[in-house]
Amino acid sequence: MSTTLSAFSDQLADAVERAAGSVVSVHARRGLPSSGVHWRDGLVVTTDATVRRDQDIEVTLPHGGRIPAELAGRDPGTDLAVLRIGAGRAAAAQLGDPAGLRAGHLVLALGRIGDTGPRAAFGTVSSTGGKWRSWKGGELDLLIQSDLTIYPGLGGGPLISPDARILGINSGGLSRPLATTIPVRTVERVLDQIVAKGYVARGWLGAAMQPVRFSAAMRTRPGIGHEGGLVILSVEPEGPAALAGLMVGDVITALDGHPTLHPDQVLELLAGDVVGRTLTVELVRGGRGEKVELLVGERPRGAR
Amino acid sequence: MSPPFHTLAAGLKQCVVEIRLGGAAGSGFAWDRDMVVTNAHVVRAGRVEVRRADGQVLAGKVVVADPARDLTVLEVPGLGLPPVERRDAGTMRPGETLFAIGHPLGVRHALSSGVLHAVGPLPEGYPVPPALRRRVWVQADLRLAPGNSGGPLADSEGRVVGINTMIVAGLALAVPIAQVDVLLRRRAA
Repeated sequence: MSTTLSAFSDQLADAVERAAGSVVSVHARRGLPSSGVHWRDGLVVTTDATVRRDQDIEVTLPHGGRIPAELAGRDPGTDLAVLRIGAGRAAAAQLGDPAGLRAGHLVLALGRIGDTGPRAAFGTVSSTGGKWRSWKGGELDLLIQSDLTIYPGLGGGPLISPDARILGINSGGLSRPLATTIPVRTVERVLDQIVAKGYVARGWLGAAMQPVRFSAAMRTRPGIGHEGGLVILSVEPEGPAALAGLMVGDVITALDGHPTLHPDQVLELLAGDVVGRTLTVELVRGGRGEKVELLVGERPRGAR
Repeated sequence: MSPPFHTLAAGLKQCVVEIRLGGAAGSGFAWDRDMVVTNAHVVRAGRVEVRRADGQVLAGKVVVADPARDLTVLEVPGLGLPPVERRDAGTMRPGETLFAIGHPLGVRHALSSGVLHAVGPLPEGYPVPPALRRRVWVQADLRLAPGNSGGPLADSEGRVVGINTMIVAGLALAVPIAQVDVLLRRRAA
């Protein structure tokens, strides 16, 4: 490699300078502000965990000036929050594609705290993977973990490539000890839903369930093939389960091909992008295995 | 074209000394003819031992100490090391590469590298006492440990921009190199 350290150093500093044009400071908690990205014109994305209040939120712009911001919505599952600011106040993020990231790729974390310049950290991608579910229940489209130090105030800021492309939003709270980045595709998906509705829709079946275990004799019957499932205790009238013909006493053994031994497994599935999708429900009714199609509804606001 | 990183590091290493006082050790570097710069908190006596990279141990005595800036300048007769090159940290941009040489936890002349995080006071709300927060720091995303104190923080061309002084929330804090000039001018005046 003929590149000198000083040429490399200049490249990193250039990347910070370019990407910093869309990096803002978010004042939505006591004490230290957090960072955010002016993702699209008038829309700032940050992490949900750093937005500790719903009102009196302000944003410090890349070129100075502190302006009021309005909470457009939040999605604790993916640790994202979206704020609205006036149009044309900062450059929109130059997005990259994190799908090509591999362990060993060099990356930077950016942040901004108050009216000071951008703040940088440098490291390498440690581990990547496909879709995963956070401990808070949200679905993330890619796993991106790095050895970056997310210093105080850097949470909510972007992960960038050495050519200044934004690859996602760094979250301080999704995992330890490695830094986790919420990838561009997940941010776009959540942002679209929040802009359209003000929240992220969760799937709803309209049935209350409790786990049951099958007897040994039951397990061996043809068409069952599961250790147990979730017995339906009540069905919401006109709800998705009722419309699919599910009844009290049915035992759901699998949903969309995933075994359902515990209610958490259903909730996980419903936390994903499933509203409006038709899923196959495997169930045991009257000692016989059956399959029905169910159109997943949207969980009514305030319902469990 | 500047030399490769390992050449830069080897060059700066020659300017870095170990400062010993009893069992405790810190770092320091050659400033000028027979002069060594280090942290005030490394030198808690009037006289110390100064060990060069080649193993030779010399006697050093305090010329000027400023606990408020956490800087001390030592005179070391027979030091015979080239002074470091310097650069004003105020000209740096976040993301620029940096490297440190010191003796973390007694590991002699260890190199660590990272990037510039920011230059200036720490933001309000940062987990440090207010008096330390308001000082101007070269803030580096770089790994330091006890024993690095007083050692040089250098840029991508080996020019020293700060004196490694403390670690806060994992962030390396260095006193800007220009503070040494301020200290020496004040003493001369």
